[in-house]
Amino acid sequence: MFAIQLSTWLWTPASRAGVVASRLVAVIATTAAITLLGTRITHINATTIGFAYLVGVLVVATRWGFAEALLSSFLAVLCFNFFFLPPVGTFNIVHPQNWVALFAFLATSVIASQLSARAKQRTQEALDRQKEMERLYALSRAILLADASDSPAKRIADRIREIFDFPALALYDCTTGQIHRSGPVDLPDIDDTLRRVSEQEKRISDSARNLTVIPIHLSGRPIGSLAISGVTLSDPALQALSNLVAVTLEKVRGQEAANRAEAARQSQELKSTLLDALAHEFKTPLTAIKAATTELLSSPVAGAEEQRELITIVDEEADRLGRLVTEAIQMARIEAGKIQLKTGLYSVEALISPALQQMNSMTEGRTVSVNISGDLPLIAADQELMRMALHQLLDNALKYSPPGSPIAVTAEKAQLHVIISVSDQGPGIRAQERSRIFEKFYRSPGTPQNVTGAGMGLAIALEIARAHGGNIQVENNPAGGAKFSIAIPVGEEEGTT
Amino acid sequence: MSAGRILVVDDEPQIRRVMRTSLVTRGYEAAEARSGEEALEKTRAGRYDLVLLDINMPGMGGLEACRAIRSGSDVAIIMLTVRNAEEDKVEALDAGADDYVTKPFGTPELLARIRAALRRAPVPSDAGPQRIHLEETEIDFPSRRVSVRGRQTRLTPKEFDLLRFLVTHPNKTIPHRELLQAVWGPEYGEELEYLRVFINQLRKKIEPNPAKPKYLLTDPWVGYRFALPKQD
Repeated sequence: MFAIQLSTWLWTPASRAGVVASRLVAVIATTAAITLLGTRITHINATTIGFAYLVGVLVVATRWGFAEALLSSFLAVLCFNFFFLPPVGTFNIVHPQNWVALFAFLATSVIASQLSARAKQRTQEALDRQKEMERLYALSRAILLADASDSPAKRIADRIREIFDFPALALYDCTTGQIHRSGPVDLPDIDDTLRRVSEQEKRISDSARNLTVIPIHLSGRPIGSLAISGVTLSDPALQALSNLVAVTLEKVRGQEAANRAEAARQSQELKSTLLDALAHEFKTPLTAIKAATTELLSSPVAGAEEQRELITIVDEEADRLGRLVTEAIQMARIEAGKIQLKTGLYSVEALISPALQQMNSMTEGRTVSVNISGDLPLIAADQELMRMALHQLLDNALKYSPPGSPIAVTAEKAQLHVIISVSDQGPGIRAQERSRIFEKFYRSPGTPQNVTGAGMGLAIALEIARAHGGNIQVENNPAGGAKFSIAIPVGEEEGTT
Repeated sequence: MSAGRILVVDDEPQIRRVMRTSLVTRGYEAAEARSGEEALEKTRAGRYDLVLLDINMPGMGGLEACRAIRSGSDVAIIMLTVRNAEEDKVEALDAGADDYVTKPFGTPELLARIRAALRRAPVPSDAGPQRIHLEETEIDFPSRRVSVRGRQTRLTPKEFDLLRFLVTHPNKTIPHRELLQAVWGPEYGEELEYLRVFINQLRKKIEPNPAKPKYLLTDPWVGYRFALPKQD
């Protein structure tokens, strides 16, 4: 036991010479311990001590291996002869019976060492296979469960290297033609080999460089190849590794194709939603114009008053169409991420009133109260874009609150911002929807089907506010209804007016 | 004396303005409603000859308003739709509208459709039978009442005109075009979906089993026929 403990303790230093020396010491110590036991502590007969030596040899064999056990056997034979076989104290053997005993002992211990060393080797191999399996399993989990990333092949290469602890690795993906390297050691001049292995589907081993290149293919189709330096894996494990990489890369390809199809479908859907909404927005003024002009053309008896009324409508609706076209163009620009601010200094009234005027023909007798606190500074803003943003908030309030209910517009200063708010008395916005309503094309699932719009309004308003260095927030009023607040920073130079 | 009382229902004030101007010039009395809910209130409170109903409105939409108005009244309803798709038209007619106009429309066309909807079919009210007894169905023309197995329903004016025209020409296939022109007016002739929807509604009201009609029969590609059993 002493010897085993000693050797375990000595095993920790990693150097090869240290290992050999410590085992040598341990083998000698084991034999010495048994010899001491037989000569000094108790007096036992030669047969019994022979068995004791044999046990020592077996322990060494199972612990370390055949070489150590062989050494131990010869030491034991020498000690057995010297200390126990008469004449004791010499290496001479007088009685032929003792020769037989000595050789029987030597043969037994050598054969037993060999058997137990072989058993130990088998165990070690099984442990290695088990470790390979565990690593392959860990790898399959790591790469199959990983989130989609920009470069899945690179990610696979990194994971294999980390989990198997290879010094260097290169993965060739023949779909993209890219080679992904991983590891602290570089693999130079490997590119051609990788391509050749992938095409020929034949493994190459270069023992001089300690390099293995395996093909990766799935159902007869080449997918790529994998070069690994410092391979310690068994053939089945390498094959499993190759299959795992093949399946993963295939899965990634499939996923990418599905994503592209889904993106195309969504963009198609968005386009048609947008077109529907645009069609409705444009058709409303067109309907009024068409109805009025056809009436004017067909009705020779129409009175002057009727004519004037109809022409006024045509005039107003033509303006509205013009605004819609401008807005559609702005919308397209904002969509494309190109907002150009034509900034001027405006009072808050000058920013709010164009939006209110535009809403006039749509508020239908609703009360729109405006409450602007007295001490507001001028704001550096693009008047046209601010009109659009406020129009979207007002339009939203009109659409999503009951007909006839009042709408309140307030403006106040809060530290470095001027905050313009639009409050309605509709159902308000549920907490979980508050961030989503600013997404493009998002429309609340509760939106009645006949509320028109493309789900662009709030997204546009937010883009405009951000272009001004501001933001839009939504909350629910304590008394009910939603309150949208657009915050625009007060510039330093105009903060003092 | 007005040519008729018309309720204009549209959430767009400018469109109501144009229509009101044209209607008033033609001698109609025009009232306005901004939403389906308001239209429903007004048709319940007052008597109108025709409702011009926009299909796209916030709140209660046009289709729902149409169904609600129809459930309590047989006023003529013309729907204003934006999309010109077959399914939208059928949906509007199914909801109980007598006709529809697609936006943008010319005022002369709208006025013609209003006249057609207000015009009663040129069948003298005393022509044909006053009352028909079918196996389980009883149709009383003067009161426009139908009872099937004791369940009472009323026909809308257009349904009534259509049924009346078919009944006065029993056991004879009436071509689609002739039927449309007789019931809706001379401007019509191609609107086969009108017939499909209205015949379906009539079947629901008078046939004991609407899926297997016994009286209102379809002659494919030609027209419709009323199979009148021998009257006692």
